[in-house]
Amino acid sequence: MTTSEMLLKASALEATRSAKYAKRKRVNQIALVLALGAMAFGLFWLFWILFETIRLGIDGLNIATLTQMTPPPNDEGGLANAIYGSLLMVTLATCVGAPIGIMAGIYLAEYDPKGWLSSATRFVNDILLSAPSIVIGLFVYAVVVSRFKSFSGWAGIVALALIVIPVVIRTTENMLQLVPAGLREAAYALGTPKWKVILSITLKAARAGVITGVMLAVARIAGETAPLLFTALSNQFWTSSLSQPMASLPVTIFKFAMSPYENWQKLAWAGVFLITVAVLGLNILARAWAGKNKG
Amino acid sequence: MQTATTNASKISVKDLNFYYGKFHALKGINMEIPEKKVTAFIGPSGCGKSTLLRIFNRMFELYPEQRAEGQILLDGENLLTSKKDVALLRAKVGMVFQKPTPFPMSIYDNITFGVKLFEDLNTTDMEERVEWALRKAALWSEVKDKLNQSGSSLSGGQQQRLCIARGIAIKPEVLLLDEPCSALDPISTSKVEELITELKNDYTVVIVTHNMQQAARCSDYTAYMYLGDLMEFGATEDIFFKPKRKETEDYITGRFG
Amino acid sequence: MSSTLPATELPLNPSVKTPGHAMTTPPRPKAARSGPLFDRIFAWLAKGSAIFTLVMLMAILGSLLVSAWPAIAKYGLGFLASTTWDPVKEEFGGLVMIYGTLMTSLIALLIAVPVSFGIALFLTELSPAWLKRPLGTAVELLAAVPSIVYGMWGLLVFSPVLSTYVQQPLQAMFGDVPYLGALFSGAPVGIGILSAGIILAIMIIPFISAVMRDVFEVTPTLLKESAYGLGATTWEVVSKVVLPYTKSGVVGGIMLGLGRAIGETMAVTFVIGNFNQLDSLSLFQAANSITSALANEFAEAGEGLHQGALMYLGLVLFFITFVILSLSKLLLSQLRKNEGAKS
Repeated sequence: MTTSEMLLKASALEATRSAKYAKRKRVNQIALVLALGAMAFGLFWLFWILFETIRLGIDGLNIATLTQMTPPPNDEGGLANAIYGSLLMVTLATCVGAPIGIMAGIYLAEYDPKGWLSSATRFVNDILLSAPSIVIGLFVYAVVVSRFKSFSGWAGIVALALIVIPVVIRTTENMLQLVPAGLREAAYALGTPKWKVILSITLKAARAGVITGVMLAVARIAGETAPLLFTALSNQFWTSSLSQPMASLPVTIFKFAMSPYENWQKLAWAGVFLITVAVLGLNILARAWAGKNKG
Repeated sequence: MQTATTNASKISVKDLNFYYGKFHALKGINMEIPEKKVTAFIGPSGCGKSTLLRIFNRMFELYPEQRAEGQILLDGENLLTSKKDVALLRAKVGMVFQKPTPFPMSIYDNITFGVKLFEDLNTTDMEERVEWALRKAALWSEVKDKLNQSGSSLSGGQQQRLCIARGIAIKPEVLLLDEPCSALDPISTSKVEELITELKNDYTVVIVTHNMQQAARCSDYTAYMYLGDLMEFGATEDIFFKPKRKETEDYITGRFG
Repeated sequence: MSSTLPATELPLNPSVKTPGHAMTTPPRPKAARSGPLFDRIFAWLAKGSAIFTLVMLMAILGSLLVSAWPAIAKYGLGFLASTTWDPVKEEFGGLVMIYGTLMTSLIALLIAVPVSFGIALFLTELSPAWLKRPLGTAVELLAAVPSIVYGMWGLLVFSPVLSTYVQQPLQAMFGDVPYLGALFSGAPVGIGILSAGIILAIMIIPFISAVMRDVFEVTPTLLKESAYGLGATTWEVVSKVVLPYTKSGVVGGIMLGLGRAIGETMAVTFVIGNFNQLDSLSLFQAANSITSALANEFAEAGEGLHQGALMYLGLVLFFITFVILSLSKLLLSQLRKNEGAKS
């Protein structure tokens, strides 16, 4: 092919490419603008929800909210018993659920990680992790509430613990797997028994991540309503007895928010504000803790 | 610093400086890449040979902290300041990377990926183009019966030739090869090297290699780089048998690696 | 870790050294006697905890089945096709709730998947480096907000807005159009399937986009550069190379979001209307979902058939989430198998 033919071919090719490119460029720009829009869309909802929660929540928040009991409709009052109930149940549920979850996570990571029991447990754990929390509530109702013929704080604790366990199992196993094998081997080489290697060496090395996992589990159950709906139910009055129905913040909010009474709705906003602050605060704390301990 | 004057230059590099953030990675490079020849960049790790190669198709622009100053003339036009879109530049200047990177699609679709970006061909023309590209990459006979299979079902050497075919299919004028054989076994390597000597009939080829023997085998011209400077540039036999600078001789004879 | 015990306490061991040589021998375990025993106890505790998880699942399934039995025995699978729900006459059928659950989740997915893709695209290819972490964290915080907040905000803040700016105009525009008008019929007060679907979408966007962003981020740079090197635009690189490369992770993320949407109670209960009807397929009419029916009716449901029917619904819900989870696991293992055969 002669030089001029070659040059002609090259410029023809260039022309085709440019023509097509104009359209492609437009498509690209539209796509990128849409992506930016999607990001803005997501942020918009976040800010709107947080803004309204803060605005309406602070409005209904005062000393009375934290110190007085839940009132009857159209009466003044607070959320004290609900707050107490939530704190009590969440704490006890974590105390029950976290150790079981950590032990199971230890089994998965340290004892026979490839065995059939571990594979089965992992699979089942995934199911439990994605199970609707209301189903957990139904289960605890069937097993605890109908057995003892009453709603109770204990039932609520059991339900919440059953939600904590799968979360802690997953995070504990992941964190333990990150501990380098060399660390364990060094401990074994010193003649340390297995239980001690796990507790004093491996778990300690993964401590930050495990604690983060527990914190995230706490944040999760702090905001859960469904599992408490038919286990702890609710209680208009103060009770510190766990064998009675017990008020909790989420269930109280649910009851108050769905009602037509204004004072109840105001209290519901205050409650929502408190829960959001607690949950987001725990999440940020968990991240900061994990970040601090990484380096 | 030497320049080649025996052939027309496809790419002229004039006073090129390159920065990674504050780090001055390429210092005042001047070079003429001759047309339809194979030019090799050699030098120890970190000398800037891959960096320089990646400026030719403006790949560095994907990373905001990387910045180039100077002139790089492709057919007389400075590609660093050209108003034309970078995609059109990359259609003219193709690149093959250190590891084979078949796209997650069939062999056929891998080849047509680039072509579809720039040309509207009907099925017959497209199939012709695919066959042409695969023949040029010396891969056609091995894959002609399994064009619908995934690109990653091929062996490493075949995958790399697929990537070469993919680059050729859009009819570039320059081919940049960034250590194309570093992930391949010796047999695949020699097949790719044979291919390179054929490709120069149609394309200007620039190859970065850390393997001096490969440069000696495949290239017509060689550039020796060290710590961001172009130490010496010349015909390959000259560089390897009659180097003009001591630094070049030290590297060639393996006094340092 | 251990102390040097007096020689009399050490176990009978031919290689035992006197305390004077303690520095040159490996320290003995503290209570060598109880060591192996404690080891066994500990191992048993760990294994027991793992078994506990299995037992839990069996127990949940078992108790749901037993509690739902009155309804299963009476209706069998026909329960899934009947729309009657009459606690007074003791006639129950789950179609209304199942439809509500599936429809709201579908709407949620339709909105959430493209938006999540856009967010992931933005975070990986467009966002300046300094903005990536704060924006990513903001999206993840959205995932941490408890669902009751979404529900309450949805009812008291969002639904009036939806009513005024979306439902009423839509009704005005399409109200008289056949078929389409039926979709928008009913009192436009901001509740219903559409409302619940939108709030669910906002809830699951953080989950899906977090997964998508994670898998986009681990796409090999060389692969992306190869596509750019051929002259592809950013959109072409992401849609034609990154997306096919990450498809198993993307599908997994979508399934995760779907699972959450289907099982979500509070975000839906507040705004769906809790009305057991399926006469009109309108998106604006009050309707019901499995979770909201349970939330509203269970506490007062009479023992026997009413409770049994509700438990039956719970079982159906559990089954649906199980199916979705299994499908996503199947897809993931399928893709891993393919990758293995190729290399």
